[in-house]
Amino acid sequence: MKTLKPVLFWIAVVLVVFLFIFPILWIFVTAFKLRADILSVSMGKLLFFTPSLESFEHVFTYTTIVRELANSAIISVSATVLVMLFALPAAYSFARWNTGGGHLLFVTLSTRMFPGFLAAMAYFFVYKDIALMDTHLGLMLFFYYFNISFATFLLYGFFREIAPELEQAAMIDGYSRFDVLRKVVIPLILPGVAITAVFVLVFNWNEFLFSVLFTKINARTVAVGLAMFWGSIEIQWGPMCAAASMAVLPTLAAAWFMQRYIVRGLTFGAVKG
Amino acid sequence: MAEVRLENVTKLYGRKAAVRDVSFVCKEGEFISIVGPTGAGKSTILKMIAGIEDITSGKIYFDNRVVNELLPQERNVSMAFETYNLYPHFSVYENIAFPLRSPRWKKSFPPEKEKRKVEEIANFLGIGELLDRKPQFLSGGQKQRASLARALVRKPEVYLLDEPIAHLDARLKFSTQTLLREFATKYGSTIIYVTHDYREALGLSDRMAVLRRGVIEQIDAPEQVYYYPATDFVGTLIGEPPINLMDGEIITRDNKAFFKAGKDFSIQVREDLADAMNRVARQEDGKRITRLGIQCDDIKLSRDKISDNSFQLPVYAFVHEAERSVVTFELKDTFLQVRTTERTECRVSEMFWLDFDQDRMFFFKKTFEITKA
Repeated sequence: MKTLKPVLFWIAVVLVVFLFIFPILWIFVTAFKLRADILSVSMGKLLFFTPSLESFEHVFTYTTIVRELANSAIISVSATVLVMLFALPAAYSFARWNTGGGHLLFVTLSTRMFPGFLAAMAYFFVYKDIALMDTHLGLMLFFYYFNISFATFLLYGFFREIAPELEQAAMIDGYSRFDVLRKVVIPLILPGVAITAVFVLVFNWNEFLFSVLFTKINARTVAVGLAMFWGSIEIQWGPMCAAASMAVLPTLAAAWFMQRYIVRGLTFGAVKG
Repeated sequence: MAEVRLENVTKLYGRKAAVRDVSFVCKEGEFISIVGPTGAGKSTILKMIAGIEDITSGKIYFDNRVVNELLPQERNVSMAFETYNLYPHFSVYENIAFPLRSPRWKKSFPPEKEKRKVEEIANFLGIGELLDRKPQFLSGGQKQRASLARALVRKPEVYLLDEPIAHLDARLKFSTQTLLREFATKYGSTIIYVTHDYREALGLSDRMAVLRRGVIEQIDAPEQVYYYPATDFVGTLIGEPPINLMDGEIITRDNKAFFKAGKDFSIQVREDLADAMNRVARQEDGKRITRLGIQCDDIKLSRDKISDNSFQLPVYAFVHEAERSVVTFELKDTFLQVRTTERTECRVSEMFWLDFDQDRMFFFKKTFEITKA
């Protein structure tokens, strides 16, 4: 029994890690395979094959993946900046002064209580009339709408962690409200800002449904671009994985960046004790 | 340093008054303590002086300037919080230096002077070795001293200290108390000090104010408050064990006044005290009832009859202190505690004679129900 316990534990760990890592690993493996090896049924070819850049060549030559990556970057980054710009003061005001007596915060949140698609339909008809279809601005504004409530609520929680007395102490120490924000509140809220921004950024980057709805060619994002490899006649596994391997890189970087902050972000509010 | 004057200051939270019509003067260089139970409004008074709570009505003056409308950063006060409120992203050094680096004082504290000031106060409070640490790596007592150092590093109009040593262990509490007294004397500082521990107030302050539900019940020199409590409430708050309170009937027989509580316990009240007793008497079920207060050190205890006015009670419980004993007797609706002058061996239910020192008897208006708890 004593020896069995650690063995079972490690089996469980391996299983869980395999479950999460395998799909990503498989994207990278497939991206570097020759077309023939991808479709090969021989077991040996699953892992042992001659690496090739064939799929990447195809992607760069015959598709607009670079532009789609750039579109995704432009839209998701600008939407994130815009969201943070409005969510930060809103969350601070909700947390510190209970602005709107709780009702306003509820209204803000309520935009997430019905299927996003309902809002998307309204946006769709308006965008058609004011020529925002298939534009960076159009998708960015929709991402802004979709994320602002979530970001505000998340930041609200982080601001609540900072005791109002801490700001009062700084004011007594001779600092104006603006200086208190600069010297005390912002440094303390930074991990929270990082986490929120990364969540919003990753959502925007990966978003598919609304992107497919609001963009066609000009502002097509990489998530939509990836789906294009899924044709009516064949699925281009190699190029799709090659493009996907590039598309997941920012997300992986974000996840790596975030794990350092998440622990800190969840514990930094310790004032007393 | 300045004189701080409160004039009819009231603070309402909604319709509930946290502080009601409070007036007092803290002269320049005076050390005033505010004592009271939890929720009495002590901290609220400090926060109003500091400017982080609005004043509902009344005026606060520093010297002769009204400061009601001034923002906290314009008032030039410093405050130590019970909850420390250290800035978690700064080291202890940066925390203490923070007020010196504020836009208002930066010019008066160039780097060398700042360093000297911070090290001076940190060493004074015994946290000189902790200057590089972040608050999260400090114990509660160290945090509290760091927060106190931040309050004392600068010379403001008034120091506002909110339970600044409440979380220190007994030994540190005593030494820090001595340091605070030294600090106050050395720099002639105006200090308003909030505590729930009457011993701190007795030991530190020039005058102490006893606060109850937002109202000052008594403000006087500590020994006056201790020896001459103005109300029954002040009596119960000061002293360990607190003052003995008992409700009893006033009986007049042959022109002599007696105080009678229960069937075993009746004493003749000296003539000159009868006035004081009658003044606070109230009618209850056709009887004239009054409240008597006497401190545990002012009752004599003996196995033999002491005087004509002494009476006998059985021992209910007893606790030995190092050199004395506290013996408890049961009365009808309360306990009577007596501290002996020397350690006394006794048994439960043993009969003792008790004799009240009539010079030290107080008669109070009833302001709350006595319970046996």
